[in-house]
Amino acid sequence: MKNSVSRRTTWLISVGAAALAAALVRRWQLASAFEPDTGLATPGAQASVILVCLLVMAGAWLILLAMGRGGPDPARRWDMVFVTRGDPVFPVLTVASAALAALAVPVLFVVGVDQFQLYQMAREAGVQPPSNNGMLTLATAAGALLAALGLLQMGRDGLSPGRRGKGGFSAALPGVAGCVWLMESFRAHAANPVQWDYAPQLIAIVAGMGFYMDFAGMSAGAPRPRRLLWMAGMTVILSAAPLATVLAELSARLAVGGSLLAAETGDALLLLSQLLAAAGVLWRLPPYLEHSARPSPEEASIEEEITDE
Amino acid sequence: MERDNRMDDKLDELRDSPAPEEGQDPAGGRAKRDGSASRDLYLNVRVLVGMMAVFVLLFTFVARVIVVSGPSMESTLWERDLIFVWALGYQPKQGDIVVLTQEHYQEDSIIKRVIATGGQRVDIDYNTGTVYVDGQALQEDYINEPMRLPGWGEGVNHVEVPEGCIFVMGDNRNHSADSRHPDIGIVDTRCVIGRGLAVLFPFNHWQGL
Repeated sequence: MKNSVSRRTTWLISVGAAALAAALVRRWQLASAFEPDTGLATPGAQASVILVCLLVMAGAWLILLAMGRGGPDPARRWDMVFVTRGDPVFPVLTVASAALAALAVPVLFVVGVDQFQLYQMAREAGVQPPSNNGMLTLATAAGALLAALGLLQMGRDGLSPGRRGKGGFSAALPGVAGCVWLMESFRAHAANPVQWDYAPQLIAIVAGMGFYMDFAGMSAGAPRPRRLLWMAGMTVILSAAPLATVLAELSARLAVGGSLLAAETGDALLLLSQLLAAAGVLWRLPPYLEHSARPSPEEASIEEEITDE
Repeated sequence: MERDNRMDDKLDELRDSPAPEEGQDPAGGRAKRDGSASRDLYLNVRVLVGMMAVFVLLFTFVARVIVVSGPSMESTLWERDLIFVWALGYQPKQGDIVVLTQEHYQEDSIIKRVIATGGQRVDIDYNTGTVYVDGQALQEDYINEPMRLPGWGEGVNHVEVPEGCIFVMGDNRNHSADSRHPDIGIVDTRCVIGRGLAVLFPFNHWQGL
């Protein structure tokens, strides 16, 4: 048990420290690695190099952590992780994550409608319309709603463990919604020659998609608990860097009296949402990765039997 | 209450059984049969999500496909042509067709031909419609029509290109805002997104660039 607690602590401290470091280095990079007049990236800037090294090292360290196995503890196994009761942290984090995704819906919807109206006005005025007609932003709003519903179901599954599968196929919904968000984020920056401006966010979204799909796999006969754990850790760390960016952009926007109804607000909410969901898994899963015995053919599913009753 | 007790018994029973390996459904054969449709659906969705992630990352770091907008590259590229652009590790060379962004001019990217690179000197003679690079007149078979003086005046027409920069022009010289335009001027190579390699669509425009 002691070993299990230390494993969870190791994961939370490692991921938390790496995420904080990534956010701080990203802020340093924003302040020092771009030319002030053009916004172009300075080649070989110290902050950029350190950020890449930090992310690679964090990824490698989390692989080692995920591969490592503690002493056997049959009472705590990864396949038991979503049938255990009495742990409110996971459902609370997941429901909070759903709330943030739901909050992003009206923001993205208003931004998308504004973009669409601007596009229509330009067309009616006979001038060159902007390349963005707002449709992908509206689709991202719909995706955020889908993600919120999926996350809410994950939270409910966490509150009533054993009622359904081992993690919930509903986790695939935010993974699918991530596809639309990824396309919108790429579209918004497709003409930007400075990859550092947007690549961290794209990579964070991809990590989140992988994390959600692995989570869904736990209940769909394709469980990869160690990879899920690694993806959850990387989702937290990789989300921290772009979160620092969008928060800096929002601060700058507020400083000049701008509105919070902007695409950056939607990005911040969705990044925070996937960060919290991943943190929930980091809280719940590590203590259950202790046992490595071979399976027996007679193994039965507690969930199936309880559902049958 | 009775149900809770039964559930606790089941949990104890499950704890007593050995753990399954990763990748194996702990529910065993019965659930595998019942859940095969859900598993297949999950695997298909996972493949689609994975493909989307790979496509976007490839578009971001390696290569992308863009649609030409505007007449500035006629008669090499036409409005709505779909072109394949290579980005990874590209360094601009004279004669290449490149996609670049000058945000102070417009937010969308533009597509032009590299006339000169860092260290070269460009001189444009509007009387003869000739472009000189390092004193040598360029043989420009690709331009749409003889070059005339642009509407904004001579603009940037006698210049030495600094290192790390390029001088670009559209093939449709009389309908192109390019390095001659005072608002665009010499372009930093870091503003280049990639090199146009081929026209992919429409098929009757297909060609290497």
